[in-house]
This record gives sequence, C-alpha cells and structure tokens, in this order.
Amino acid sequence: MTSTGSINLPAEEKIISSPHSRKIRLQERIAKSLIWFLAVLTIAILAWIVGYLMVKGLRYNNNVPYDVTPYAETRLSLDAFGEDVEDVVFIIHHKTRSEDIPVAGLRKLYNKTRPENWGFYNQQNLRVVPLAYEGAGAFSAAVKDFILTADDLDDYKKNVQEVDSWQDMIEQVGSTAGALGFLPASEAENLPKTVKVLGVRRTSVAVHPSVMEIVDGRMLREITSEDAERLASGEVANWKDVGGIDYPVTLIERTSDGQCLEELQSTKGAMLLCHYGDVEKNGLSILPVKRHETGWNLTWHFIVEAPARSGQWGGISYIIINTFFLILFTVLFSTPVGVMAAIFMVEYAKQGRLMRILRMGTETLAGIPSIVFGLFGFIFFVQILGLGIGFISSTLTVTLMVLPTIIRTSEEALKSVPQSFREGSLALGATKLQTIVKVVLPAASPGILTGIILAVGRTVGETAVLIYTLGSNYDLVSGPSSSARVLSLHLYMLFSEALSFDRTFATGAVLVIIILLTNLSATFVMKRVSKNTGK
Amino acid sequence: MAVENKINVNDLNLHYGDFQALYDINIGIKEKEVTALIGPSGCGKSTFLRTLNRMNDLIDIVKIDGDIHYDDKNIYSQWDVIELRKKVGMVFQKPNPFPMSIYDNIAYGPRTHGVKNKSILTDIVERSLEQASLWDEVKDRLHKPALGLSGGQQQRLCIARVLAVEPDVVLMDEPTSALDPISTSRIEDLIDELKKSYTIVIVTHNMQQAGRISDKTAFFLHGKIEEFGPTDEIFFNPASPKTEEYISGKFG
Repeated sequence: MTSTGSINLPAEEKIISSPHSRKIRLQERIAKSLIWFLAVLTIAILAWIVGYLMVKGLRYNNNVPYDVTPYAETRLSLDAFGEDVEDVVFIIHHKTRSEDIPVAGLRKLYNKTRPENWGFYNQQNLRVVPLAYEGAGAFSAAVKDFILTADDLDDYKKNVQEVDSWQDMIEQVGSTAGALGFLPASEAENLPKTVKVLGVRRTSVAVHPSVMEIVDGRMLREITSEDAERLASGEVANWKDVGGIDYPVTLIERTSDGQCLEELQSTKGAMLLCHYGDVEKNGLSILPVKRHETGWNLTWHFIVEAPARSGQWGGISYIIINTFFLILFTVLFSTPVGVMAAIFMVEYAKQGRLMRILRMGTETLAGIPSIVFGLFGFIFFVQILGLGIGFISSTLTVTLMVLPTIIRTSEEALKSVPQSFREGSLALGATKLQTIVKVVLPAASPGILTGIILAVGRTVGETAVLIYTLGSNYDLVSGPSSSARVLSLHLYMLFSEALSFDRTFATGAVLVIIILLTNLSATFVMKRVSKNTGK
Repeated sequence: MAVENKINVNDLNLHYGDFQALYDINIGIKEKEVTALIGPSGCGKSTFLRTLNRMNDLIDIVKIDGDIHYDDKNIYSQWDVIELRKKVGMVFQKPNPFPMSIYDNIAYGPRTHGVKNKSILTDIVERSLEQASLWDEVKDRLHKPALGLSGGQQQRLCIARVLAVEPDVVLMDEPTSALDPISTSRIEDLIDELKKSYTIVIVTHNMQQAGRISDKTAFFLHGKIEEFGPTDEIFFNPASPKTEEYISGKFG
C-alpha cells in the first residue's frame, strides 16, 4: 500500500454547510459561468471578425463570368477556319500575369486602334504590345483571319509591330514588357524563360434556344464550369438538374461539315461544344459559363505597384506611402502642441474653473464625430485660408482631430508621475523646466506614447475628414497642396464606386496589418522606454 | 562659541491659507551637528523642515512671515532659490530615486548645475556613493535602473544624490520611516559619519533614533517649539512637562 492510500479518510467527509452558503455558492457558479460565456463569446466574435477580414483580404474566391468554357488550351487549333494549317500558340512576356484569356479578348488585343491594356484581364497596368510576323504565308494569313475581321485590317497594321522571323518573335516578346505574339506550335518547343504561353479559352456551349426559354418565370442564365463538364460527359440528362427547364439534354457531336449545326438548330434541348469561331460565324445561342476562381488577393504586386484606373488596376503602393506621410505629418504637428498643452495644464496652470472648462472642452472635442471636423477643415482650411483640397489641409484637420486625444492621454500620463520625483529634482536645485524636461517627461513617456499611438490609429482609420479635405487623387503626394488618397479613403472609394470588392478587402487587410504593426511596435517601444526608466 | 549657527530662524509664522501651521519659531542650528525635530503627527515639524530650503514655495497657499538666515543671509531675499537648494539639500520620507540608472540619478544634480565633463561626473558619482556607503553594493551595476535597488539602498542613493551637489546642510524628512530595522541602522551609521562634514537637520518619529543620532533636539507641539536643547537634556531632564509626557510615551 502506498502512503497516500494508507491515510484513512472517512468515506464521506461531512462538510459543514448551511442553506445560505449553498445559495451563495450557486450564485457564484452562475455568475462565473455567465462571465466565462460572455468572455468566450466576445473573443470568438473578435477572432471571427479579424479572421473574416484577413481571409477575404488575402484570398479572392469569385464566380467569374466567361463567354467560353474554362478549358484553357495552350494550342489553338485553326481547323475551324477550314484550312489545313498548323496549330498556333500565343506567347507573352513572362512578367505579364495572365494565364489564359478568352478568344474574344485576344481579338480585341490585336485589332484595337488604341493600344489595349492588360489591366482589363489581370489588373496589371501594362500596355499591350501586339507583335506579328507577316512573312510566313498561309499560317500568318490564317492567324490574321482568326484574330481579325476583314475590315479591321488597316487598324491592325497601325497597331501591330512587325517582326522578322519566329526567332525574332520569341526574342521580342521576351524583351518587351506587355508583349503578345504568336508562333506555330512546332516553333513553341523549348521557349526561353522570358516568354510564357498564354492559354486561349474558346470552347463555347452552344445550345438550342429552347434551353434558355423562360418557363414559369425561371430561366437558365448561366451554368458553372463544373456543370458544363458534367453536361459534356453525359452525366446530366435533364436541363432541370442544372437549374433549367424540364427538357432532356441531347449532346451533339461536332462534325466538320456543318451537319452538327443543323442538328443543333432543330433539336429541342440540344447542346453542342464548339469553337468560338463557329458561334460567331453562325450566330448560335450560347450558354454563359461561370468559372470559380480563387487565388491570392493580397499579393506582393498589390503592395508594390502603383495604382491605376481609379485603383482597379495596379496596386496600392502610392496609397500606402501617402498614408505614412499623413501619419508622419499628423504626429509631427500634433505631438509637440498636444504635449506642451498637457504640460501647461498639469504643471503650470492654476487648477481652477478655467481649467475645468478647458478640460471639458478637450473631452467634448475628443468625442465629436470626425465628419464634423471634416466640415470645419473644409470651411476653414480649404475655403477661408484658401489652402485648397490637399495634403496640408487634411493634415491640419486630422491634427486638430487627434489633438484632444493626445492632450488627454499626455495629461493623465503627467499626472501619474509621482510628486516625489518633482520634489526630489527641485530639492537638488533644478529649475521647474529642467525638472519637467529631465524627470517628468521621461517618466511620463510611456503614457504619452500611448496617446500618440492612439492618434496614429485614429489617423490611419480616418475617412470622413479626408473625403472633404484630401480629395481622391490616387497619385503619390507631391506637395502640400496635392490631392491624394490614403488607405481608408481608397477603401471607401473602391467600395462606394463598386470598383472592386476583392481590392476593397485586400486594402482592408493591409489596414488591419498596419494597425497591428503599429500596436506591436508601440508595445515594443514602450517596453524599451520602461526598461530604460527602470519601471 | 566654537561653532557658529548655520541657520537662524527668527519669529517664523507659517499659514496654509487660513490655517496657521507654525507659531513664532525661533531656533539656531549649529554647524556640523545633528539637530533632530520630534513631535506628534501634524505638529508642523515637516513643514518647518521644508521651509528651510523653500520647498514650501511649491504650495501656492503658503504664507510665511519672519526671517530665516542661512550663512547670515536671508533665504528669501538674499539667496537665489536654486543656489539655496544646492546648499541646503533634502532627503525625503519615501525614497524617491528618479526612473533612470543609478549613475544618472547621482549625476542628475551636477548635470543640472552645468557639469558636462564625463570624468568629473564619474568622480562625483563615485565619491558620493562612497560617502553614502553604497559604492561597494552598486559599483558593478551603475547603469542599471535605480528602481531595482532595495528600499534601504534607494534611500542611501537619495542621500548620495544630495551629496553629489556638494551641499552644506542636509535636511532629512523621516528618512527611515519607510525602511526595515537593518536599513534604518545603516542610515543612522551613515548620518553619524556625515555629521563630520555636514550640518544635518532630521525629522523623526522615532524617539530612540533621535536619542541615538542627534546632538540637539527640538520638540514641536501644535506648531510651536515646546523645547529645544541638547538631546541628553531633552531626554533625561526635560524642562517642560509636555516634553516629558511625549518622550515617555503618554501621547503622540
């Protein structure tokens, strides 16, 4: 027997208790579980909000409409055009971030008179440089046929750069940013790393018009790419299984003689997977297909590239820099003023009625909605002082907005410095100013720093003030009167002008990360400061 | 007389607003002696002590009548307050080292008075800490925060900080009341040592302490000096019955 086992405890220890103590114990338990429940709930909600924002910000996850099915084909067969020529491969510069593109898009890139931009397809602000090789006879003619309609030919010549050989084509595409060219499939072996193949999506789901009829107020508007595959493999036998009307699906094989088209036109519920060229030539009804796309939303490119087209393309680098400028200048303007005001209020002013009013005033100002400050800034700085909508007006307005916060926190920090520090310093023969600068301010610095961090947080999150005073230019700030955007404002614009939800969330994620970094660095700095002051 | 009066107080009256805290104080404090101020709480001894280096100036409502002379010059009209506080240093009830390193604490005073030379500062720091018998304990961690020291060490640091500005008089306001007995006895030894070169005025609640360390004792009661004289006489042969009652522990 072990020693613990040998201790002879009575089987049932009688606990001295009373109804009252049991009641109190019960109350205690209920209160404790309630507190736990609320705490866990709060933490869960917070985690969910931050998690949701971060996930939406980091990854996009969308159904994107496409005219054509998602089968990205690297080789484009030209047999739809009735000529017996080699398949074609489209190549692009390796830094162009497109993987595949619908045929219709490809045609636009080649025959616009005005240079087209990759941004329309991949949000990368990059001009398209289409290249062509004239001297290859039938092949080039066929490609031209394919990417041009007959009357576009003059425009095509204006827009397209000629190259001298296929080898030259590869070299040119590899060395020109935004370049787009084509090669016969046989030339596309062992391409250099500076060149990559652009997939072309051109398989369309052509259907008999009956499939898209409105029945009982319901209509099949589009299908997902998964449904398209299931339809094509015969897995789905009835249109109602993919959300359409109650017709059986009739799959039609594509033939080269055009027989299939007649069949498609005459069979109710018929479906034909065909090439985009067929659709365009014969005016077929096609069923739009949506593709599910996921990927990184917040990419390195998004952070380092300059914004373009109201923020739809490019990244947010300028906007991040503008945000840091705004923070920097706001802190530069507001900290000295605010800290000195707090020093006056704590160390010099007589604590009387005037101080009470002043204190109440700062508290009220700290609670005023920022849009009111925005209004004031617009009237006073923009209009009356004539500074115009721009960086200086907005910085001054935000400075006014954060001043009460800095004053209040600095005041509290100064008040919390023990009187004995001041006495000790004065008793050594130091003057009041020496005492404040050398003893009181260092001792109060963690608290003052907290106020500055709070001010930075408010500045980063500020939108209302900036709508009135900063404008909406998405360029880099170039001077005191230049209009600009900061992150919160950019987020607001992207959202309110419905430019891009993905980019709104990515911008939001950057904001969350900046706030997080600010707080972390504040904790770090405060630890360092406290270490030096020995607390 | 062999020793001159370092500080002379004549007819000092002090008011906090409407409340009179000190009545007609007359006292002469001799050079290189320890003068203890004793008395029950609220009797005005700390207020009196703080008047000697004009710390009461910090309180707006204080009104002072009468003359205080330090080195035969009036501290209100003939001494600049900064110079006065340099000469008449003060150690407080609670150790109040600044939130900086030990070195910076000691160097604070000399620096504020314009000493910039590093080697001079280092000499001052070492000398002051040695005088306060703290050098051996802290010499290896001069650049560590002063607030990491124990209470007794902190108080000796505060004494060293006062000594660093080379004062003449050191005022001590119950310097051991927040300390344990061992730290207290170390401070008492230190005071004994310091009186060779400094004039010391010490407020204390501890009768035995006054008996042990002081040459003269002043007994304060209700804002007046009830009795002032050599410590032995006050303790063994008090003139006033109230002094006797207080010393024998009947009130206070």
